[in-house]
Amino acid sequence: MWGVIKSVLAAFFGVQKEQQRREDFKQGRPMAFIVVGLVMGLIFVVGVAALAISVAR
Amino acid sequence: MRTPFVWMVGCLIGLGSMPAAVASGWNMPVGVTDLSREIHSLHMIIFWICVIIGVVVFGVMFYSLFKFRRSRGAEAANFHENTTVEVLWTAIPLLILVGMAVPATATLKKMYDASDAELDVMIIGQQWRWRYEYLGEEVAFNSSMSTPRAQIRGEESRDEHYLLEVDNPLVLPINRKVRFLMTSDDVIHSWWVPDFAVKQDTIPGFVNENWVRINEPGIYRGQCAELCGMDHGFMPIVVHAMEEEDFEVWLAERREEAEQEAMGVDREWALDELMERGETVYASICASCHQAEGQGAAPAFPALAGNQRLIDDADWHLNTILNGVSGTAMPAFRSTLNPVELAAVTTWTRNAWGNDTGDAIQPAAVVEKLANQ
Repeated sequence: MWGVIKSVLAAFFGVQKEQQRREDFKQGRPMAFIVVGLVMGLIFVVGVAALAISVAR
Repeated sequence: MRTPFVWMVGCLIGLGSMPAAVASGWNMPVGVTDLSREIHSLHMIIFWICVIIGVVVFGVMFYSLFKFRRSRGAEAANFHENTTVEVLWTAIPLLILVGMAVPATATLKKMYDASDAELDVMIIGQQWRWRYEYLGEEVAFNSSMSTPRAQIRGEESRDEHYLLEVDNPLVLPINRKVRFLMTSDDVIHSWWVPDFAVKQDTIPGFVNENWVRINEPGIYRGQCAELCGMDHGFMPIVVHAMEEEDFEVWLAERREEAEQEAMGVDREWALDELMERGETVYASICASCHQAEGQGAAPAFPALAGNQRLIDDADWHLNTILNGVSGTAMPAFRSTLNPVELAAVTTWTRNAWGNDTGDAIQPAAVVEKLANQ
């Protein structure tokens, strides 16, 4: 699970180690990445909105 | 070892000449409000960040191109992927962008805070002039460009403030927070005065807000900054910023004038009086489309001189001025001009340029017509 989160974070940032990429593709099941990606995307959007609202106060 | 040295000297000369360019008038003005100063310094900080990045990136690139050229036996490195470098070139721009966004956001917040204003001015864009209404003061007027058409056509030499002069400038007090409520009667315009760092779209059906607190008295000029049709370039903005006492005197005078004007509605006007007033109104409001001699500009703007329908039908003529003609560029003037101005300009167009109907349209008749519509 932690490995999936790390890979999604790397994808957000846009840089991934080649070794880790091979590791991820060994699993052959994309579902975990898709779900974690959506959840973390939502967390990011809510986080930015919260930051904007707190700054605008 | 000499090459990097030459490069460094070149870069320093380039950087050294920058302040000259900054002071040349090509740059954004510092302006006369606290906020415009703040925006100017933000602009300069970001400009210098861009200059430094440009010099470093292009410096490294050109140095590498030159130093490691093939004729000197340089071999191309052939590698794929370097996580450290990739992380660096992602993280550094991110930090720079966030570093620029923090002060920019702080300034934006101030720009949007139009609360606690001491004076409200409604700014209304119209093809092609500005209308200013001092809310709660019973003072309102139109502000049209006063540069003569002959200068535009090149028949006369140009004034110092060519295309940047108006008949009735907006007058504002210094040291007071003035809120602008901005809208438009026809298409999108944009009210732009660089010295105030205010550039705000005026949109029909919307009221945008902006505000200014001017520090120094003076005359400040601007232009419409949103392409709005044929005379987009001929609707300048002039602002007289006055000491507060002078402003109060000016405002009282304008209020008095408005009262006089309102009283003038009831009396009988002579043809000559109406013609004199009508000529001024025509020059300020109508001439940009229907032209100085009433000859119009085909096909969009019909001629008024010798216009048979106009000559035959005074009622239709006045109605057209009051209500405009939908689907054309002719706007309704019922709320832009007061009854005296409406009567005067109708009288003028019925009698000028050989139309000679002899009709004197009375302000009282206009008031009655407005009340019945």
